[in-house]
Amino acid sequence: MTTPTGAATNRRTFLSLLGLGAAAVAGGGLLTGCSEKSAGGGATQNLDRLAGLLPEQRALTLDIPKPDIVGTRPVPDGYSRFPANLFDAITDKPGTSGQQISAMMPAWGPAPPSGANNAYLTAVNAELGTPIDFSVQDGNTYAEKLGALLGARDVPDLLCVPGWEINKLPRFADAVGALFEDLTPYLQGGAVGAYPMLATFPTGAWRHACWNERLMAIPNPTDGPFPWMLFHRRDLLTQLGLAAPKTIDELFEIGRQVTDPAKGVWAFDDIFPMVQMFHKVPGSKEGWRLKSDGTPEFKYETAEYRQAVEFMAKVYQAGLVHPDIVASKGADAKQLLQSGKILFKQDGTGMWQPMQAEQQKVTPGFDIQPVPLFSATGGDPLAWGNDEPISYTFIKKGLGKDRVEELLRVVNWCSAPFGTKEFDLREYGVEGVHHTRSADGPAKTELGFKEIQNQYFFVSGRSPVIQPTPQTPNFVQDLLTYSNTTVRHLEKDPWEGLKFEMPAKYKAAAVPTEDKITDIVRGRRPISDLDAVVSEWRAGGGDEAREMLGTALSDGK
Amino acid sequence: MSNDQVSRTPAAVPPPPATRPAAEPGTPPADVAPAGRKRSSRRQPRLPLRARLRRDWPLLVMVAPGALLLLVFHYLPVLGNVVAFQDYNPYLGDSSLEALFQSPFIGLENFDALFSDPAFWDALWNTLTITAFQLVFFFPLPIALAIVLHSILSTRLRMFVQTVVYLPHFFSWVLVVTFFVQMLGGAGLLAQELREAGLTPPEIMTNPDTFIVLVTAEVVWKDVGWGTIVFLAALSTIDPNLYEASAVDGAGRWRRLWHITLPGLRPVIVLLLILRLGDALSVGFEQFMLQRDAVGRQAAEVLDTFVYHHSIITGDYGFGAAAGLFKAVVGLILILAANKFAHALGERGVYSKQ
Repeated sequence: MTTPTGAATNRRTFLSLLGLGAAAVAGGGLLTGCSEKSAGGGATQNLDRLAGLLPEQRALTLDIPKPDIVGTRPVPDGYSRFPANLFDAITDKPGTSGQQISAMMPAWGPAPPSGANNAYLTAVNAELGTPIDFSVQDGNTYAEKLGALLGARDVPDLLCVPGWEINKLPRFADAVGALFEDLTPYLQGGAVGAYPMLATFPTGAWRHACWNERLMAIPNPTDGPFPWMLFHRRDLLTQLGLAAPKTIDELFEIGRQVTDPAKGVWAFDDIFPMVQMFHKVPGSKEGWRLKSDGTPEFKYETAEYRQAVEFMAKVYQAGLVHPDIVASKGADAKQLLQSGKILFKQDGTGMWQPMQAEQQKVTPGFDIQPVPLFSATGGDPLAWGNDEPISYTFIKKGLGKDRVEELLRVVNWCSAPFGTKEFDLREYGVEGVHHTRSADGPAKTELGFKEIQNQYFFVSGRSPVIQPTPQTPNFVQDLLTYSNTTVRHLEKDPWEGLKFEMPAKYKAAAVPTEDKITDIVRGRRPISDLDAVVSEWRAGGGDEAREMLGTALSDGK
Repeated sequence: MSNDQVSRTPAAVPPPPATRPAAEPGTPPADVAPAGRKRSSRRQPRLPLRARLRRDWPLLVMVAPGALLLLVFHYLPVLGNVVAFQDYNPYLGDSSLEALFQSPFIGLENFDALFSDPAFWDALWNTLTITAFQLVFFFPLPIALAIVLHSILSTRLRMFVQTVVYLPHFFSWVLVVTFFVQMLGGAGLLAQELREAGLTPPEIMTNPDTFIVLVTAEVVWKDVGWGTIVFLAALSTIDPNLYEASAVDGAGRWRRLWHITLPGLRPVIVLLLILRLGDALSVGFEQFMLQRDAVGRQAAEVLDTFVYHHSIITGDYGFGAAAGLFKAVVGLILILAANKFAHALGERGVYSKQ
């Protein structure tokens, strides 16, 4: 593994000359030689070649009614009304040993009560037969927690790793190999038949769950391909006689009209990623595309990105972003949107329904909607997005075959789809306690909102659909209308089917470069500095990543 | 002359002789004890040890939990610093320990990378500037406040004021920064008042040039009250007779402050100053993370945030450990230098050489 090179031998001499023998003593007999620091060159995995590892997709034999609103893939289908009958999909208790399962997952906002203080957990654990003990971590700092946990090699039985955190985790493929069970023998091909709920997952989702050319995790298939939406307070804009902007100039103009510092109202939170999307900045693999000559090009190097930077700098210059958000990362932008102190906010799809359901009780007429995607520069808009799973569930290595099978049965139970009793309990808790039921379906109570924080959802998956909620009857239709319109403009990923571990140098350059661009966007450096920033980025790892992405494509063909 | 007196004073005060035989019933008279013990330890090393154990075991039991904690949480982890000389990969081998042993040694390469990174020197410069600034504008404030508090005669009023000034210490940085944003930010109280008066509010929270004043103001608001505790304790040990005597001799308020209060506080001031210098390269982390985007990296990058972004985020633990070792070495040098300086001034410092 570690071959000493000439330069390293010199360094070793240097080391002993300096009398730093202490280091050598600590290394003991294992100090066979100093080697070069590995460059961390990155790795490519071609997922198409892994087809043989994947589970067979099989439909359930249950007679669950079909969704009535069809989504264009990767947008899932939706139900506008709740099915009258629920099916009991799993009759046997999945847990047999009774030995508690440890698990870790993220939650945003106040942490739910844990253990026996949480009636929801008690109810689901009773159905499972073997209880799961959740360690709930703050979703905003989950990557840091994961990094520490993996680095210390101290992982729970079931670990949730959200898809968006993986690129933040250094040497993740090494970590997966060292710490987690290889699930290939349990799930490959027909073997998945033992877990019929897992067998309903789309094959595309499983493909992403491979590391080191083995099937290593259970994917949680995505229920929406878009990372961001630009939400606006439709109720407040209507009161001002305004409608959602359709061009980038309108966005700026409306921003200026609604900003009124005397009333404490500003237009935006930090909407830079959405501004980039409006300007059709590339977004594949976090910002890459192919130039017409076939070489990869990163977003920093494109004219579109420069335009987006210019626009965003103009927005900051005009003072349209709320000062709280400018001044501190700790500002609560959601709260500002809810109280009408900002009128536009960028967020994930997941913000929409819960905020609407909660806030319409407080503010009559409260209405948030996404701004339909447009192009700032003419032609069709461009939507960032992919069909990668929301999260992955990993199983700790070395628990033994029986335990792994039990854990898989538990995950299988948690993965029952919409229309089953299992899904209903997992999603809405106990009737009369966590939700009240009407013909429109279950509506969560206060206790339901408090205790149910997607605990089981984040250590399993389900064949995704958009489900209806009585409080927000238009939500499914609104979401699917937006999604089906937007998905037509979904960016094509030239590296579809390839999974990368990007070079370490390139990863290390990310934050310093973003810092410099933040300086430009916020007016601390002139826009003309952008060229210098980009050439620094190229030399500092950008070109290395370009080479890797280019080679990956030529190798694949 | 006076120096010697000060440094000798503590040792020169013998424990009250009457209590000594009572505490050590079996030992011979105090003046022959050291010599006798030494001689016997050379000939028969086990017996006196057992005797000492029999005598001191309650003290040893009392100290054991603390020593154990120190060992487990301070001294054992220090061995982990070896990764500063390694290309450390936590996933090698079957356990963390094996990973430590199997990671290849790369000599001083991590230090090489650290010292050749201009961002590191930027961060170091920022850190040192902030430390120096806070030494001048923060460090004296708790002393002044403690003296003011000490002069309040009404106990009830003093307790009230103390509670109020201690309170911010228990707030997290998120709260402190939010409080400043709500007061001084562009949408805050000050800005709204100025706007109503037809004025343009100044940029307080987002100006990189005055950031050092802002962070110091935040530190002052959060910790100035907490910092008074040690000084108040020191003030209470000053003999009131000294004040009375000097008042009788006609010394005014300021003379009493200069000739009695400040000299009385001097050992504590010097001690805290030395401890602060040892910490010179730590000026906080969260405070700077939260306000990083507001003023930019140039102003807000300190050593700890640098290590976070270049080591924790990128998983390059060896590099981070190198930066940590560097910090420790600088801190140690500063402590030793400051302590030497204190000795030269006739203070005891953190330790004394006797």
